[in-house]
Amino acid sequence: MNTIQMDMDLFEKLTILSDAAKYDVACTSSGVDRKGNGRGMGNSVAPGVCHTFSADGRCISLLKILFTNECIFNCAYCLNSRDSDVRRASFTPEEICTITLEFYRRNYIEGLFLSSGILGSPNYTMDLIYQTLLKLRTVHHFNGYIHVKAIPGADPALVERTGFLADRMSINLELPTADSLQKLAPCKSRSTILKPMRQIQNRISDNKQELTVYRKAPRFVPAGQSTQMIIGATPENDFQVMSVAEGLYQKFGLKRVFYSAFVNVNGNSMLPALPGGPPLLREHRLYQADWLLRYYHFKVAELLSEDRPDFNIFLDPKCDWALRHLDYFPVEINRATYQTLLRVPGIGYKSAERIVKARRKNSLTFDDLKKIGVVLKRALYFITCSGKMMYRTKLDEDYICKNLMQDKTQIPRDIREGGYQQISFFDKELQTDFQLLT
Amino acid sequence: MYIFVCEDSIDGIFTGIYDAWASRYGHVNIVLTTHTPDNYSLFEEYITVQTDYEKSAKVAHTLQERMGEETYQEICQAALALEADSHRQPIDKAEAIYKTVVLALSLTDAGRVMNYLGEPCVNRTFQLSRSTFNEAHHLLGFLRFQELENGILFAQIHPKNDVLPFLGEHFSDRLPEENFMIYDATRNLAVLHPKGKGFFITDTGELNQEMLQRLSPQELAYRRLWRTFFESIAIESRKNPKLQNQNLPKRFQRDIVEFTELPNN
Repeated sequence: MNTIQMDMDLFEKLTILSDAAKYDVACTSSGVDRKGNGRGMGNSVAPGVCHTFSADGRCISLLKILFTNECIFNCAYCLNSRDSDVRRASFTPEEICTITLEFYRRNYIEGLFLSSGILGSPNYTMDLIYQTLLKLRTVHHFNGYIHVKAIPGADPALVERTGFLADRMSINLELPTADSLQKLAPCKSRSTILKPMRQIQNRISDNKQELTVYRKAPRFVPAGQSTQMIIGATPENDFQVMSVAEGLYQKFGLKRVFYSAFVNVNGNSMLPALPGGPPLLREHRLYQADWLLRYYHFKVAELLSEDRPDFNIFLDPKCDWALRHLDYFPVEINRATYQTLLRVPGIGYKSAERIVKARRKNSLTFDDLKKIGVVLKRALYFITCSGKMMYRTKLDEDYICKNLMQDKTQIPRDIREGGYQQISFFDKELQTDFQLLT
Repeated sequence: MYIFVCEDSIDGIFTGIYDAWASRYGHVNIVLTTHTPDNYSLFEEYITVQTDYEKSAKVAHTLQERMGEETYQEICQAALALEADSHRQPIDKAEAIYKTVVLALSLTDAGRVMNYLGEPCVNRTFQLSRSTFNEAHHLLGFLRFQELENGILFAQIHPKNDVLPFLGEHFSDRLPEENFMIYDATRNLAVLHPKGKGFFITDTGELNQEMLQRLSPQELAYRRLWRTFFESIAIESRKNPKLQNQNLPKRFQRDIVEFTELPNN
């Protein structure tokens, strides 16, 4: 393989440029199944593969780096904005290729995630990224996963050319509303973000046509596109955030929307200080709701409304919904449709599928449900097996709510134990809530 | 009751199924096990199954024909799973697979047998199969190669289940141009993949440790570079070691370079 100059330079560059990239959440390698081509190296498996987990517990699947952290933009929330005092560095395309290939063959990573600060102009930066990918794909025959950022404001032709080399592309929406974006990221605008997003969406659907005509046509962004929103930097409520996400799924055909709990990295006075650490629980609730949209046929309007714009801190969105729709329950396990089962707290989409298949042979009991993987401590209030409930329970909102809140997993262990401070803000509220219930 | 004692491998279990069927004692009177019993019971008849590749191939062929590839794969995955302590598990691995196969072949569509999760034996087969699949999937990511002096990529793992067939297939597709070896230290088996050819699994016995110490000159530099990345990518204000250990269980960590000490030099 290639030998490279392993001077301190490369170590420093990698430190600076991975440090600068870490606030980008997306690190998934999913969405595309591709066999190796028998030469070079690389393949890709649809569910994605996690290679390791960093000290913050997040999955590392891709080599997540910036091409450069020299940036002409001045986004207030960003560590690399032109006004902030950080060390700057840039890779060369050759350096990125070597690191990617050497890490890949040692199975450290599943592929490359390449983003960049804006060096010179959006077009110049996009071209550098394109050149890097071109080299990786054609000179080094790298066939692994590549996730690449489209640079807002870059020439559509460049974005298109890059898309034929990447598996996934993303353009970060950054903030849920145009107002906030203008305030915090004056160099970006809603249109420079949404335009390329629309372009990629259209190109993907055209590509599907091309592929039906000719199976071996070059594939454009086969793993789809994703985006990311920062949570807690601006005053938007959960309802606004989720509505935007729903819009993106429906109107832009996005594969994933990521939510990033805001970390105040450069102490900008326009931004909240968040003494309790990043809003991790809120981020967690948003992800739960996001799953409900994508896998459970929920609509945002069912979960939240103008009057109830934020998620319940103490209960997950699905339990919360169920408690407000008790008329829908109890659900008979041996008869209910798949869609009905999906709405029961404690039954996931996989368990629901298994239930539907397993009950064809003989009717299921609570014992069977447990083996199938249903979380009975949540589900038992909402289901019957052959007409019987598991215990004598009341179908009463306060009663169920009280019992569900005793379930510690409602606030996941990693947030409870991960030095999560914010819960103390609500402690008083929690006590009054309990008083109301008892 | 007739108890067929077979070897703990796909071929052993499949031969057991063949013999049990051919014996004509009736399925309800037969139990398959992979455990040589500590105490023989008085009123049971024990039959030792000699692993026979021809019989095993016949069973495999029938199952593939009748069940289809997907369900057959699940059965094989279950057979590769680690058989836990027999006293704690209600159903023996070989027994679960045997009864699943019996049920499958009694159905009009044998491929649907894994849907019958209400059946205890199917459920157990399903759990076993899932355990192998999950561990194999974890190791696709958690496995680490190191480059030896002679350019060979070497990886060592300590899996619970026998996952080498999956890893061999995945990595020979991914790295066709590399000579690599994946060593299962719990079973002393290894996947060997010569450059540009197919892989094979072989019994290695003890490995020459001295040869494994001789790394290529670049190896440690890349390992350091990787650790640099691994440490700088974590967000300090979200630090959460419990979540890290939950996602990446400790038993995998001992074979992963970023969690082990770097050799000095």
